[in-house]
Amino acid sequence: MTPRLSEGVATTEDLRTIEDINEKIKKGDAVVMTAAEMKELVQQKGLKVAAKEVDIVTTGTMGAMCSSGAIVNVGHSDPPMKLEKAWINDVEVCHPGAAVDLYIGATIMDAKRPFLYGGGHVIEDLVRGKEVELRATSYGTDCYPRTRLETTLTKNDLNQFYLLNFRNGYQRYNCATNSRDETIYTYMGKLLPHYGNATFSGAGCLNPLCNDPDYETIGIGSRIFLGGTQGYIIGEGTQHEPEDGFGTLMVRGDAKKMSPEFLRGAAFKNYGTTLYVGIGVPIPILNEGLAKKTAVTDGEIFTSIVDYGVPRRDRPKLRKVSYEELKSGRIDVNGRTVKVSPLCSLSTAQVIAETLKGWIEDSSFYLTRPVERLPRDTHVSPMKQTREVLFVEGLIRPAVTCKEDDNVEVVAKKIIQQNVNHIVVVDDESRLSGIVTSWDITRAVANGKKGLTEIITRRVVTASPQEPVEAASRRLALHNISALPVIDDQRKVLGIITSEDLSKLVRG
Amino acid sequence: MARILLRFPQSQFNAPITSEVVLELGVPISILTADITSKGGEVLAEVESKDVDRVAALFRKRGVAVDVQKQIEVDPDACIHCGACYSLCPVDAISFRKDRRVTFDVNKCVACGLCMDTCPTRAIHL
Repeated sequence: MTPRLSEGVATTEDLRTIEDINEKIKKGDAVVMTAAEMKELVQQKGLKVAAKEVDIVTTGTMGAMCSSGAIVNVGHSDPPMKLEKAWINDVEVCHPGAAVDLYIGATIMDAKRPFLYGGGHVIEDLVRGKEVELRATSYGTDCYPRTRLETTLTKNDLNQFYLLNFRNGYQRYNCATNSRDETIYTYMGKLLPHYGNATFSGAGCLNPLCNDPDYETIGIGSRIFLGGTQGYIIGEGTQHEPEDGFGTLMVRGDAKKMSPEFLRGAAFKNYGTTLYVGIGVPIPILNEGLAKKTAVTDGEIFTSIVDYGVPRRDRPKLRKVSYEELKSGRIDVNGRTVKVSPLCSLSTAQVIAETLKGWIEDSSFYLTRPVERLPRDTHVSPMKQTREVLFVEGLIRPAVTCKEDDNVEVVAKKIIQQNVNHIVVVDDESRLSGIVTSWDITRAVANGKKGLTEIITRRVVTASPQEPVEAASRRLALHNISALPVIDDQRKVLGIITSEDLSKLVRG
Repeated sequence: MARILLRFPQSQFNAPITSEVVLELGVPISILTADITSKGGEVLAEVESKDVDRVAALFRKRGVAVDVQKQIEVDPDACIHCGACYSLCPVDAISFRKDRRVTFDVNKCVACGLCMDTCPTRAIHL
């Protein structure tokens, strides 16, 4: 197989080689700049001078990285046991292979403390030197007879405790907002109704991959800052999407040496637990092109504002936005200025770049030449589904509507003529203002009421066209009702779905 | 810290009530603003959160109307300065310093609590 070093953008080492730089690090002569300093230098002195002067640019990011975890080997008990099911501090830790190897996944939650404590917190507690409780059960074999086990452990009792993360350090990420008329809690944090706020992730121009977007110097075997100690890139991360600038990293590092300042368990309400991971990658300035790439500014890195109110794989994108605008704290969403939160700790990202710079200047960190560069030709495909899920838009039927000033008799006629049970009340712009059922009309007739205004239900439970039918069906059951008007984000009535239509589905 | 608004009635304006409370409980009370006349007065003071219930009870016992104003508290060891809270604050009490660390302006904060449940490290308390 051809090594990937020859693929993609050719990397020349016409200014200096990795070996030249390591020689300078050894002597304490290497010129190191953080990504922030490099951008200033290039602006002040120009590209040529910066390329000539600077040997290495250090980068950093500290974000919630769900695809993280730790592999631990807990040693053998006597009599020995093949741990089949195991829990650390009541967080289930899976048993991926041999008898006493366990993987602590960051997003697995403690069943008794959901959304508060999970695998990410177990990893942080171990890193802090805290004692944790291990509990395990098994079926027992001739070679591993033990079936139950309870003990306490600290990181010093573990043979191996390695952070092993499958998808970290996203090159950039979405900016999230919410069109719904309710607050939603997502992996992008709390999103207020009607585009009331926004959140974004990624460190922009400090992010490692943004400073080497063609992956000229980054690949398998790149030594990096990971969680406060030296770690390694072991390949591209899952869902690595280089063409769109959504590259990712797979990393590994000795968690026994890590620090909670750069590795922190976290919990997002109603989403789950995760792990904040601090990563910094040194970019060697091997050629002038790399000097130019490491001078990239937040104004040159773009992402999309995405509507997380639509719970679909392809969420609607509202517009492009630069990291410069995002970091300003306020963005324009549909003509309105709203505040935008970073979810990545930008202050810690800067500390990481500075710490890595310090290590190199102290001659305690040397660069490595990757044995294989990150791929630039991979793509992410959606799931192959053997059965398509039905969405509300596939089940919607036209709604029979009326106006608020219609009288009961007119509405009763509509119910009979159109053979429906629900009449949706709309204003002059077809926006939802209420709902009336055949039962409401029957009661009105019995009580001699003529006007609609007295019998309209104003707090209407609704559905959106993009949501799965299953979700709408749950809402019908929850509110004990039999129809949902389907509306868009301007509250315009698009149609209606009824429990009758849903039950036809079940019958096939 | 917790803030307490003390309303002294006209009948009590001569009594050294605050000093008596400090002496009896042995807790520090720092006075932020005071507006006292012969018709009574209002004092805004700060006490440690752990003491606020005892302090309020004793003032009330002495005929002072007490309004405990809750304040946001941020655990500096837990906060990782991600800024998830920033966009939820309706009164702009949360901002970023130049080094991108998050700061809370307790004078602007109205203790609405909107930011609390978004904090990934549960660093914010009322």
